[in-house]
Amino acid sequence: MNFKIEKLVSEWMENSVVDVENKSDYYCRTKDVFEARLYKMKFFLESKKILEKDIPIIIAVIGEIGNNSFDHNIGNWPSVVGIFFGFEIQDDVLKIILSDRGLGVLKTLKRVRPELHNHKDALKVAFTEFVSSRAPERRGNGLKFVKSNIMTSNFLLKFRSGNALTTVNKIFKIEDNQENLDGCLAIIKVNI
Amino acid sequence: MKIELKKFGEMLISRPSGREAFLAMQSSLLKDVKLDELIEIDFKGVDVLAPSWADEVISKIAKEFKNIKLLNTENSSVQATLETLREYSGLEV
Repeated sequence: MNFKIEKLVSEWMENSVVDVENKSDYYCRTKDVFEARLYKMKFFLESKKILEKDIPIIIAVIGEIGNNSFDHNIGNWPSVVGIFFGFEIQDDVLKIILSDRGLGVLKTLKRVRPELHNHKDALKVAFTEFVSSRAPERRGNGLKFVKSNIMTSNFLLKFRSGNALTTVNKIFKIEDNQENLDGCLAIIKVNI
Repeated sequence: MKIELKKFGEMLISRPSGREAFLAMQSSLLKDVKLDELIEIDFKGVDVLAPSWADEVISKIAKEFKNIKLLNTENSSVQATLETLREYSGLEV
C-alpha cells in the first residue's frame, strides 16, 4: 500500500518552509487549525460509520500527540511553526500521521531531566514516567494515555524522535533508528 | 449542583481550553459552592475527552471539593481518561 500522506510527510520533514506551506491541506500552523481538522476527521469517521466504537479513543490519542507538539514547542520552534496532520484510508487500513519540526523529545525533556543523554532514554521517560517538561506546571500524562490505549486497542503506533523509534501495539519497545529526525513523527495504523 | 460538561464542548481535548473552562467555572458555577457540597460532574453528550483537558478541570475540582460524583461515564475516552488521571494525577473519584 502506498499512502499519499507518507510521501507528503517525508517532504514536510525535509523541505523548505515555502514548500511546507503549500501543503495547506495537511499543514496546521496553529493549534486552532489542528483542532478544527481533528473535528473534521471525527465527523468523517462518524458519517462513514468507520470504527464507531473506537472513534473517541482515536481522536483523544491524536489530540494528545498533536497538542503536545504545540505545547512543548511554543515560542521555541527551531524552524517551521506548526505540525503536519493527515489521515488516509486504503484497503481497510486507516493511517494517521502527525509530525512536527520542533525540538524533539530529548531536548524538550532535558529541561527537567538534564541527565538524559540519548533519544532512546528520552522516549522511554516520555512514554512511561510522569514527568513534565513544563515544570513547575504539573502535567505530563498524555503519552502514558496514548501508550496505554494503543496497547489495549487493535492499533499500532510508531513514534520517532532523534535516532530513536518507539513501537507500541500489544508490546512496547524502543530501539535505535538509522535515520535521525529533528522533531517528532507519529504514525498510527488502525485496521478497520 | 451539577456541572454539565457538554456545555463546554463535545470534544474536550486540549489543556488551554480545559484551563479556560475551569476559570469560567470558578467565576460562575463553582463560585458559591461550599467545600463539602455535592458536585455532580455529568459527561453526558461528551464525545471525546482527553487527559490534558480533564486534568485542568476534573483533577482541579476534585482537589478543591471533597464530595464529587461522576455521572454518565460510559464513553470509552471518558473511561480511559479517568483511569489515566487516577493513575498519574492522583484523582480519587
